[in-house]
Amino acid sequence: MNTIIPVENNDVLAAFRSFLKRLMESGVVEALLVPLETGDGTVLPALVTDPARLDAERANPLMPVMPINNARAVSAITGKHTPAKIGAVLRPCEIRALVELVKLQQATLDHVLVIGMDCPGTYELNEFLSRNGGHGERCAANFAEYLTAAREGREPVIEGLELRPACRMCIHPMLENVDVHIHLFGVDVNRGLPVTLKDDVAAALQITEPGAGGGESLGEAVTRLTAGRQKVREEALGNIRKQMASNGGITGLFTSCIRCHNCMTACPICYCKTCLFKTAAFDHEPSFYLNAARRKGATRLLGDTLLFHMTRLNHMSTSCISCGMCTSACPSDIPVGAIFSAIGEQVQAEFEYVPGRDAAEALPLITFHPDEWTEIGEEK
Amino acid sequence: MQYEIRNTQQKGDSMTTNESYEPHIVAFLCNWCTYTGADLAGTSRLQYPPNVRVVRMMCSGAVDPVYILKPLLDGADGVLIGGCHPGDCHYQTGNYKTRRRYIAMRQILKNAGFDDQRVWLRWISASEGQRFAETVTEMVTALKQLGPSPMRVAWAV
Repeated sequence: MNTIIPVENNDVLAAFRSFLKRLMESGVVEALLVPLETGDGTVLPALVTDPARLDAERANPLMPVMPINNARAVSAITGKHTPAKIGAVLRPCEIRALVELVKLQQATLDHVLVIGMDCPGTYELNEFLSRNGGHGERCAANFAEYLTAAREGREPVIEGLELRPACRMCIHPMLENVDVHIHLFGVDVNRGLPVTLKDDVAAALQITEPGAGGGESLGEAVTRLTAGRQKVREEALGNIRKQMASNGGITGLFTSCIRCHNCMTACPICYCKTCLFKTAAFDHEPSFYLNAARRKGATRLLGDTLLFHMTRLNHMSTSCISCGMCTSACPSDIPVGAIFSAIGEQVQAEFEYVPGRDAAEALPLITFHPDEWTEIGEEK
Repeated sequence: MQYEIRNTQQKGDSMTTNESYEPHIVAFLCNWCTYTGADLAGTSRLQYPPNVRVVRMMCSGAVDPVYILKPLLDGADGVLIGGCHPGDCHYQTGNYKTRRRYIAMRQILKNAGFDDQRVWLRWISASEGQRFAETVTEMVTALKQLGPSPMRVAWAV
């Protein structure tokens, strides 16, 4: 069912908050995962159980930054069993990552109300902070520009800042199949925030009259935005592919890797409690390095840098949802996300698999069909 | 294996020229089928090139991608995975999963700029000693045509 949350004095956030408060006070959710403002111009994800804190701490899901991919947070608070009815305000890439984590048995959607919102994109945290410190008029202007860009279906540019590279090439800024869908694209939110709800949620909130959902140009705005981003994506991934196909291949892309493993830490899909590369398997005897050097005549120290990235590709490229948290986390500015998307896209195509599409779909590498690829292994 | 490769290298087995190039192959063979098949090749006194170093696995499904990548990046010229024919897995479905993992691995290697022709997956049963010997012979021929792996001297990996 569609409804419209009334917005007063152009205060979209207050309207958004009042809706979230209503979800909590009506008992639809007992706890809410939502970003709260920190006072220095950014937000942190938080789990809120007292609805009064939504106003007091200024809950702000529209702040265009993503300190973590919140699928991780949902995994932490649900695991195999959700202890309470939890609501989670998530961006599309967070929802897609969450779906993959559910398949990997690291999270559950039982008793979780997924509140998704259209996402015009996010900025690098530090860059955004340097432009948006504190509150006041400057922030308000930035916020207004952000919402206007979403209405018009163009890239938001705040004080010369560009979106994160992953957002600039995001072709899934809109949601499908969520419990609650907050619309931003193609609508003038200052005149009311359109929401699409599942019927049981609407009933619990005693919303009986369907309002006109979305705006007239809703579809148009998204099409315009994604068409532009598709082009950016093809160009960016094309460049990466060209480099990988040239001499040296992927090796050349990771020469500046400092082995901090930030990409792995930031990746919502890489869930292993202890990564293989942090175990004793990679605690080598001194002779190991000498042998490695003797074999090739010279060897990079410390070794196994590319092995780490290639292994990660094998472990998670089928589930890579292109959120680009790895790129944002890389201190050496390696386009990790684009590299993983460029390869992941091909692996996913091979299995006709779209990560994040449906929690009921099996992961490509844990399922099989006896009658597929029957020519493999039989070659003479 | 490390010592063996080092020793052959010291004996003058060139890492860079094609002339005297002998490919190094690391093989992961399933205990129930291909390893037994390789054993049969031996007891039947079948001749095949000595370029292969065998690691015995309990199942081809136990071959983690990292086992394949590690020798490749360290300069092995080829990796062979041997398992039971589909439907014959000792653990029912291990080789079906191997097959999917191999498909993914091949795609990743190809797109990352590696030669996916260096990784072979073959189903060889315990009774196919002949097929094992032929497979190794074929693989050695193919790898000689491909030339030494560029990873033999690539130090910055």
